[in-house]
Amino acid sequence: MSSSQTVLRMEGISKAFAGVVVLREAGLEAHGGEAIALMGANGAGKSTLMNILGGNVAADRGRISINGAEVAIRSAREAILRGIAFVHQELAMLPTLTVAENIFIDDLPTAGLFISTADMRRRSRELMGRLGSKISPESRVEELSIGDRQLVEIARALRHQPRIIIFDEPTSSLTEPERQRLFQVIGGLKAEGVLIIYITHFLDEIFYICERVTVMRNGETVWSSPLAQVDAAKVVHLMLGVSAGEGRVREPITSQGEPLLRISGLRRAGALKNINFEIRAGEIVGLWGLLGSGRTELLRSLVGLDPTDSGTIFWKGKTEPGLVKTTPRQLHREVGFVTEDRRGEGVHLPLSIRDNLTLPNLKSLLNGFHLIDAGRERELANKMMGRLRVKASGQDQSVGTLSGGNQQKIVFGRWLAANPRLFLLDEPTRGLDVSAKSEIMNLIVDLANQGCGVLLVSSELEELIRVCDRYLVMNRGSLINELPGSASAGELMAAIADVGDENGSWS
Amino acid sequence: MRGFRAITEFVIRRGFLVVFVLVFLFFSVVTRHFFELGNLLNIISAMAPLAIAAAGLALVVMSGRLDISIGSIAFLSCAIGALLMRTNGLNPILAAAIVVSCGALLGALNAFLVVVLRVNSLIATLSTMIAYRGIALQLTDALLVQLPPDIRFIGNTRLGPVPVDILVMLLIVIPVHLLQSRTVFGRRVMAMGNDIAVARRLGIPVDLTGFMSFVLSGVLASLGGILTTIQNGAVSPFLGSGWEFTALAAVVVGGISLLGGRGTVFFSVLPGVFIFEMIRNGLTNLGANPYSYRLVGGVVIFAAMYADALKSRQSQLSRT
Amino acid sequence: MKELSIKRDQMDRFGSRLRRKFFPHSDSSNSWAGRVPNVLTAAGLVKWGLRLVLLVGMLVLIDIYAPRFFRYQNLVNILLQASLLGLMTIGMTVVMIAGGIDLSLPANMAIGAVLGAMYMRSGGNWMISCFIMVAVGLVIGLVNGVAVSRLKMIPFVVTLAMMTVLSGSAVWLTNSLSISQIADSFLSLFEAAPIFGIPVTIWAAASVTVAATVVMRSTRFGRWAYAVGINASAARVAGVPVERVVLISYVISGLMAGLTSILLTARLGSASANMGNDGMVLDIVSACVVGGVSIYGGAGRIPGAMFGAVLITVLSNAMNLVGVSYYLSLIIKGAVIIGFIAIEGRKENANE
Repeated sequence: MSSSQTVLRMEGISKAFAGVVVLREAGLEAHGGEAIALMGANGAGKSTLMNILGGNVAADRGRISINGAEVAIRSAREAILRGIAFVHQELAMLPTLTVAENIFIDDLPTAGLFISTADMRRRSRELMGRLGSKISPESRVEELSIGDRQLVEIARALRHQPRIIIFDEPTSSLTEPERQRLFQVIGGLKAEGVLIIYITHFLDEIFYICERVTVMRNGETVWSSPLAQVDAAKVVHLMLGVSAGEGRVREPITSQGEPLLRISGLRRAGALKNINFEIRAGEIVGLWGLLGSGRTELLRSLVGLDPTDSGTIFWKGKTEPGLVKTTPRQLHREVGFVTEDRRGEGVHLPLSIRDNLTLPNLKSLLNGFHLIDAGRERELANKMMGRLRVKASGQDQSVGTLSGGNQQKIVFGRWLAANPRLFLLDEPTRGLDVSAKSEIMNLIVDLANQGCGVLLVSSELEELIRVCDRYLVMNRGSLINELPGSASAGELMAAIADVGDENGSWS
Repeated sequence: MRGFRAITEFVIRRGFLVVFVLVFLFFSVVTRHFFELGNLLNIISAMAPLAIAAAGLALVVMSGRLDISIGSIAFLSCAIGALLMRTNGLNPILAAAIVVSCGALLGALNAFLVVVLRVNSLIATLSTMIAYRGIALQLTDALLVQLPPDIRFIGNTRLGPVPVDILVMLLIVIPVHLLQSRTVFGRRVMAMGNDIAVARRLGIPVDLTGFMSFVLSGVLASLGGILTTIQNGAVSPFLGSGWEFTALAAVVVGGISLLGGRGTVFFSVLPGVFIFEMIRNGLTNLGANPYSYRLVGGVVIFAAMYADALKSRQSQLSRT
Repeated sequence: MKELSIKRDQMDRFGSRLRRKFFPHSDSSNSWAGRVPNVLTAAGLVKWGLRLVLLVGMLVLIDIYAPRFFRYQNLVNILLQASLLGLMTIGMTVVMIAGGIDLSLPANMAIGAVLGAMYMRSGGNWMISCFIMVAVGLVIGLVNGVAVSRLKMIPFVVTLAMMTVLSGSAVWLTNSLSISQIADSFLSLFEAAPIFGIPVTIWAAASVTVAATVVMRSTRFGRWAYAVGINASAARVAGVPVERVVLISYVISGLMAGLTSILLTARLGSASANMGNDGMVLDIVSACVVGGVSIYGGAGRIPGAMFGAVLITVLSNAMNLVGVSYYLSLIIKGAVIIGFIAIEGRKENANE
């Protein structure tokens, strides 16, 4: 460990976006040569806190000090100059350029007019060598695996001799060997005295490589201590703030309803491996897993937005008893589908509420001339707005100006009019405030009570445990487990702790 | 089925090569004079102006944008130079300098529209293409503007067996190639073409680079115009007409993706332009109807774009 | 792919510094997106007010400098020209709303006219000739549509390539000559029989406008087209058959080209490869832009586009009467396009 150890202190950091408080006097303290785990559920504020440290966002209040001296970080460049490097989850790579070019792109070494490629190559090799990689500096980034690209990103960060490196969910897309390699790299950096801030959802990882842990919840720092003082269960408890079973909207039921959907052998190379499950009427099934586990891919494949290689879908038809084989495209017409990207795929922002609500249901609004009956259109829009209690100035208001919660209601509304028997929901409460989340959760339970089946994908464990009747656990494209509705949060977190496929292959 | 797939894969990737070889063989076999050194040199000579302009277009395309005004820039800048020489008796060297400056200015206007006003580059350069041509036609009354007699001879000089135009082309295209592949500016252009948002995030001066790419495109267009004017001995009202389209096709056929971020100048532009000139030359040698060139050209372009679309779909999947 | 699918870039320091220098008070205003049925926002009224002012201003200037403009014959002429431009503008509008662009419209029109005229020249029946013209338009539209929707090619390049092929073919077929052996019955139908004193062409354009307005406002296709143009992935999630919509939009455009070939041939009394020259594409795009159709897709209305066509025709006609040279008029039109697009482009697109 170097003698001059970096000390980072963030104190009293507060931040609000458009009136919504995201950070409330949050803080962090860490020393060079150690890795500190920053834990918290979605929306707890860890990303915002790190973005403030990384210069992407400005804090409203609070101070950051490095080695006792207060620093002002007003931009990403400034952060870099102060020795803070941020390795984002989404890598900033330029695929058609070489490794060396990617590493040096913001400061290419020149000799006169031209780039000194030999110099660049040498230095790249050095940097990559520090990370234990022998990748040729001349290879194009698009040919590299994600794990290798990440190393290039780290190498780029290392160029500026950072004292602090923030890793944001670095392992979600890595194979097991790549993950081990990353840990070695982090170990090496620690030995050089670098301060590592490590953000991850994988609980087991932090016990592997971190020395301290700081937990955030609802924008506040609720815990900070050496890692030895806690165990996984305690961390989960701190993150969620609730014990299992608290605040249930509906007690778990074992559905006696008829089966609505059965999936058999669904497969797609690189994303889904042999998916089999069933959903019955009236039940809410939680699809639980981490980023990259394939939950969204599964949902999208069911309705044909993503292709599948093989597999069969059985669906409860309207007229025939029992399940009938069907195609994703058919299924798309029969189920309600809420995507995780509300603004990008869920609604048409410039269009009015009415136009959004009626878009999938136009067929039912046609009159004798095959034209859309404006009167019935308005009626339908009114009905949906009322049923969902959408707060707006009228059905002519453009959806883009609604609050997130109301926008999400519109997304639901699009499907409700057709009275589907099954809903596929992907992160339906993402980005919503607490009251909106409640409303949506209540809506989901209502639908289930009326006999619909619901397949609910969510990264927010505290939400899932309030409504689900059972859980399907996914990891790396397979359904690895099924847990009953009575499972505790701890059990669920344990279920997704990365089992780690040894060869990390996707076949 | 596997074999079929493999063949189509190969054709798509090396499609250009396949087309090139096929066309070359076709003309060599079917016509009498095609496969002679003199004719081949003619082809390269004829393609030189377009190649120079296409090099500029290549830069803009690699940065992820389009510039379809290059033909009009060539025309307008040369028209101004030629008119100044004719009416004011301006020194040819000075006139050439003015032509190049015009090219730069016209390119800068394009840059202003795209970078500052944030107008889509297709629409912006479509409008300037028509506007610039309009101005030039206005200035020349749509008539030929002859070069002063003492300069006209340059068009025919040769250095040994090699026409000077070819040397001029190489003298210009090679530095542009080096610019793209070996300088900071060139790498920035490629970075922009890869992903402009990421490039911005990394601190690359995306707007400045984009601006300069349009200015350069204008300069190169005007240089191409100068060459073709010298070849013809006059500025014709058809100067540059159709350049944008052929240059774009040549760029794509030569392997530069319209999505940006990919390709090199020398090895894409020269072969690409050569193919089209070769087709034109071959068709003429065959005695085919002169209008057939547009037809054949259009089909080749269609096929090239299709292959590009397929290629880019594949690479889009691998870029994420 | 961004530039080619006509989506916009973001700002950054160099550009924004220049921008602030030239437009110190500009900010992203809430511009009218021309939503499907009537949404009268303040911004929308301002935009329409602007157009009205432009029109009135032009008319006043014309009255001062070229009073011949207001003669009955001239006005009828203008409406005739505007009808023809308007038909093609409607085709382009439909394609643009669905997020594409069709540069081959005039060339499509020209080759349809040429083929139909050639048929009539060889002694064919004029009704079949009309059928040929429309059929050619539809087929070409279909090819464009398939290339864009199924082969996933870029609309700009596809229609540009198509334009080159078509105009080359037209020139080849006619040897650059115009075909004037048009059946008399054909001509008389359109020329000599005005209904209530208004030529058939104008009636045709008016009825197509009404029909197109109804289609875009009150049919499933119309709604789908707007949805696709605004956000194709959101449309897909909502169950809209995106590829089919795009295909149909190009077919409609082809249909408009076909109809225009009939009417223009009748008006000119001949058909030539030059009927769809370069300037026409500019006119069509200008008409769309001035008429409030967004080149980025998802916005714009048929009546607006028609109005744009009228405005552009008035502008051309006025410039003609005042004595502005053809080339200068091109420059002015180019400036008009840029102007309207730059103003429209001020809004922060909420979708991106």
